[in-house]
Amino acid sequence: MKKVNALILTGFGLNCDNETAHVFELAGAKAHKIHINSLISGKIKLKDFQIFVFGGGFSWGDDHGAGVIQALKLKDHIGNELLSFVDHGNLVIGICNGFQALVNLGLLPGLDSDYTKRSVAITYNDCGNFRDQWVHLAVNKKSPCVFTKDIDIADFPIRHGEGKFIADKKIIDTLVDNNQVVLQYADKSGSPANGRFPLNPNGSIDDIAGICNPTGRIFGLMPHPEAYNHFTNHPDWTRKIQLLKREGKPLDQETIGVKLFKNGVDYIKKHI
Amino acid sequence: MICGIEIALKKEFKDAQGISLKKKAASYFSILIQDARCIDIVTIESDFSEQQLEKIKDEIFTNPVTQVSSLKPLDIKFDWCIWIGFRPGVKDNAGATAKEAIQDHLGKIFEPDEDIYTSKRYCITAKGLNREDVEKLASELLSNSIIQQFKVFHIDEWDRDRGANVKTARVILDHTPCCEVINIGSNAGLADISDQRNLALNILDIPVIREYFLDSKVLESRKQVGLKEPTDLELEYISQARSDHCNHNTFQGTFRYKDAASNEEALEKNLFKTYIKEPTLKLKDQKEWVVSVLWDNAGVGRFDDENNYVVTGETHNSPSNMEAYGGAITGIVGVYRDPMGTGLGSKLFMGSFGYCVGDINYDGPLKPPLHPRRLLDGVIEGVKDGGNKSGVPTTFGQTLFNKDYMGKSLVFVTALGIMPNQVKGKPSHKKKTSPGDLIIMSGGRVGKDGIHGVTASSESYSENTPAGHVQIGDPYTQKKMHDFLLICRDEDLMPFITDNGGGGLSSSIGESAMISNGCVVWLDKVPLKYEGLDMWEIWISESQERMTIAVKPENLDRFMELSALHEVESTVIGEYTNSGKLHIKYKEETCAYVDMDLLEKGFPSWEFDAVWLSPETRGLTEPVIGSPSDFNKLLLKMLERPNIASKEWIIRQYDHEVQGGSVIKPLVGVKHNIPSDASVTRPVITSQKGLAFSQSLLPWYSKIDAYHMMTCTIDEAVRRLMAVGGNFDHIGGLDNFCWPTIQFDPKNNPDGKFKAAQLVRACRALKEACEKYEIPLLSGKDSMYVDGHIQGEFGERVKMSAMETIQFSATSVIDDVSKCLTMEPKVSGDLVYILGATANELGASEYYELFEKTGINVPRVDFDKFKDMYKIIERAITNELVASCHAVARGGLGVHLSYMAMAGGLGIEISLSDLPMDTNRGNLFDEILLYSESAGRFIVTIAPENKIKFETLIKDMPAACIGMVTDKHDHLKIAGHYKDALIDLSIKNMEKAFNKTFGEMI
Repeated sequence: MKKVNALILTGFGLNCDNETAHVFELAGAKAHKIHINSLISGKIKLKDFQIFVFGGGFSWGDDHGAGVIQALKLKDHIGNELLSFVDHGNLVIGICNGFQALVNLGLLPGLDSDYTKRSVAITYNDCGNFRDQWVHLAVNKKSPCVFTKDIDIADFPIRHGEGKFIADKKIIDTLVDNNQVVLQYADKSGSPANGRFPLNPNGSIDDIAGICNPTGRIFGLMPHPEAYNHFTNHPDWTRKIQLLKREGKPLDQETIGVKLFKNGVDYIKKHI
Repeated sequence: MICGIEIALKKEFKDAQGISLKKKAASYFSILIQDARCIDIVTIESDFSEQQLEKIKDEIFTNPVTQVSSLKPLDIKFDWCIWIGFRPGVKDNAGATAKEAIQDHLGKIFEPDEDIYTSKRYCITAKGLNREDVEKLASELLSNSIIQQFKVFHIDEWDRDRGANVKTARVILDHTPCCEVINIGSNAGLADISDQRNLALNILDIPVIREYFLDSKVLESRKQVGLKEPTDLELEYISQARSDHCNHNTFQGTFRYKDAASNEEALEKNLFKTYIKEPTLKLKDQKEWVVSVLWDNAGVGRFDDENNYVVTGETHNSPSNMEAYGGAITGIVGVYRDPMGTGLGSKLFMGSFGYCVGDINYDGPLKPPLHPRRLLDGVIEGVKDGGNKSGVPTTFGQTLFNKDYMGKSLVFVTALGIMPNQVKGKPSHKKKTSPGDLIIMSGGRVGKDGIHGVTASSESYSENTPAGHVQIGDPYTQKKMHDFLLICRDEDLMPFITDNGGGGLSSSIGESAMISNGCVVWLDKVPLKYEGLDMWEIWISESQERMTIAVKPENLDRFMELSALHEVESTVIGEYTNSGKLHIKYKEETCAYVDMDLLEKGFPSWEFDAVWLSPETRGLTEPVIGSPSDFNKLLLKMLERPNIASKEWIIRQYDHEVQGGSVIKPLVGVKHNIPSDASVTRPVITSQKGLAFSQSLLPWYSKIDAYHMMTCTIDEAVRRLMAVGGNFDHIGGLDNFCWPTIQFDPKNNPDGKFKAAQLVRACRALKEACEKYEIPLLSGKDSMYVDGHIQGEFGERVKMSAMETIQFSATSVIDDVSKCLTMEPKVSGDLVYILGATANELGASEYYELFEKTGINVPRVDFDKFKDMYKIIERAITNELVASCHAVARGGLGVHLSYMAMAGGLGIEISLSDLPMDTNRGNLFDEILLYSESAGRFIVTIAPENKIKFETLIKDMPAACIGMVTDKHDHLKIAGHYKDALIDLSIKNMEKAFNKTFGEMI
């Protein structure tokens, strides 16, 4: 079988490239950490990859809006290559700073097949501060998103100061109608948080934590699935393992984080 | 041409900065404002057409969904407007990225006289505010005059076209760089020059310096390069190298120790050598895992067969006390360069913080440079930006409040890195410079920043302390450099690397050239932020984010290629030689030509008188406090105390799990809100191995005896590690001393001899603890002079000394992280055990502090006994007999049983009568059993089926089952030794108290 090649951006203050590469390897892909300038210079070509990962971090220090300068730079230098990458049915995932870059590039939400328009924004948390916290997420089962197939609920950490998803009501309604809202902040049982802090940690409209484009092949989310690459990442693992032990059961070692990336890799294996 | 762009959030969106201003104005100063909106201003000093400016404004700086912007002042209504901008020369990070973005987007290169500056203005609507109030907000909340300037406009003064009329903060020095020759005719003359030029030369060093430069052989050799008497640069070099910060003169000094009561006398010739170096080297021989200690920027220990870990810690006290944000961000970003410059370079994988600050609600007459609450706000934010933007998780941290820290607050920052143990077949912990290697400076540029920072931190704070040493760290530039350097390391391009910290090039080149035995440096090649710096300023500037690197000429092209790819500026600024000379040139002129071994020329060691007055001699006694009758109320009060209460708001601002290796987080429990004993991280993400890390701070015990302060602090740090599953055979230590001035002066430091004796005693305790627990000190630093002279009500200056403080950090390597534990009881029906005896040891406890008492019964550590128990705990955890484990720390059993109940969300029933007790130091009443801070204790829960196995393990220990976990209720119920129902509190009530003090903060 052909190897699935995932490109993980590095450089200019991005910082989740190592664990993101690791989790893609666990998911069965070959992960390549590529500096933004290597793409711009043309030394590395997008056409050699099937998954493009905009990872977490502080590109350009988050100055002048998180993900703004990264988006501008990529648009200026490899904008067309990116559009053709998307056209070819490849996958794009943007996590945290990467999600912010995707909405500033216009790759998300991609309404009316326009992949250059900025129609949604991710802005300062209502709580007024950077926050690291694990959240519960409800997955929209009707969403076309390829990454969340067969996942109902997930716990991942959020780690951001600018994670509040906002847009005009009309846009939000369209996203909801199209099932482009993939992830919502929720309570333990999977019911949406309804804006309650800290379940919804940033004040996102409609508890939106992640969206996809209409085809489901471009996905952006604020929480960090790559930070749940090992069962010991979960904040409750020591308790869960103890409770299971009393029942004579072991803890499931595969995490929802790895599963999310595996969905993406499996999709490529099947379709391309 | 100068042009401004103003950007603001559309009015339908919440303005977090405005809301924060409103909140703080009300709570700090009772100044009520209705609304505040913040406008970002980007000032461009360059020639662009109107069309280009519109493009810049719309395509770079304006988010079409959320923001509005204009090339003219935005029309946002206000009663008062405050403009805040940086002073010239202060690092403007957002300005630098703006320039980068514009250059890239428009394909235009900025000329040297073109630049971009960022500033802000706040539009405040508030009826009835006067100018004085507004200026107070501007100066005491929004800006710090050390780095910023402000302007206040009333609406009537506002010019709608000119707006805030922002001038560019360009540095114009209008100075022709020069190198001055200094007349050293007499000792007194040189001492005067030292004062005038802020050289802080020690009076004892002056004759040695003069003797060297007046030596006929030296004069002869200098003549060949056109030099006679020393240059300013040469004296600056000596001053840096001889400063206490770089040379650790205090710890290498001679102490005449005397116990005033027993008349015991001892001559301590070198505290560092006797109490730190020798025991550590001995342990290095015994412990195979110790790789490299005592010489590099950080210590190195083995992590697994392929990787080593690196650890170091710093303080950044003096700058943080003047500009809290700048000081703290520079501190964390600065300490992160140490692992980058250890061996051939390591990758950062975690950091931690420790803050010791004054009472944040202080409203007395003293006026510290920054009020404790403002200082804490700034410090928290500085470490947040510095740590988070470096992509390094801040996995642990503590915040401590005590009024004595108002004179000088302490900011500890710690950094850990990981590196492959081999680079192309060579051990990665070794590095050297060789003749012919090029000297390269990578990273930031050089400005007037931080000049005399080292000498300023070697003095206590006064009104004359130069403010120029405060900087703002730039984690973005450094992160780019970090990524770049790791690739260079893996390609084996760098035989030597070190960071530029205190002392700048003077320290980094001065020290690295000792290895090759000489260097030539071309100062005119050093890239500058602006023209006009004197040669000595370039040489000692502490501008941040710089590394000094040796590269072989044949590897230069590849090094520079990678440097360009990562957009890191690197410049060849000299060459290592074996001439035996430090030779510094500026163009053709020689600015320094001294022997590499000049610093070994018999500079005298510092001398101190140390007089120990035992607690008994000082008249300390136990206070007389009868048994309380309301133990419920008392426990709730304890949980509200700032040093016990939840500090979740600080920890959540720090990314503690980037890099994906988080195993035990800084906050644990069902609600993820109770401070963990220690953190555990997997630095090698493909491995099951973990690095456990803990820290302790118990400075209160120094009020009785710094000896016991030291032993208790180390014991607690070790116990915290053991509680999460640490390995007792592998414990690495890191000692960060913060001590008030110890040099006796009848007027300025009358108790200096006592403080010196405290230092000697602490060092003796350090050695004992390390030997007994077998802890090599992988790294350590000392920060002396933690005193402040604070202005009082009548214009007087009052000296405040911080408590003698050690922050002790401990590391351990855990083979299998799936065995790690957290502290919360997990299952109803589990049994609760206490390991370790409780004695009458309330001296300097949190309990006595509640009554503003000190006492004398400071906790004591019995290393031999405790050690056996820690090994047993380790066996019990490895054999999976334990469900939860927690080290009893500040606040004793009462506080820590509450922590466990809140963490587990389950009821706990305890009987104090079953506690292992030690009555040697006095009777044990219920309040003593609950709040004594006796060392060496754990609270453990186990499944009932493990009872026999567990009790067999602990049979010879002072350990007992004292209760159980239950889901029948959610209360902590404690039956006393003297009184049956001593405590009965619901978890909800305890949480209320625990969150009362800081719970509103986010």
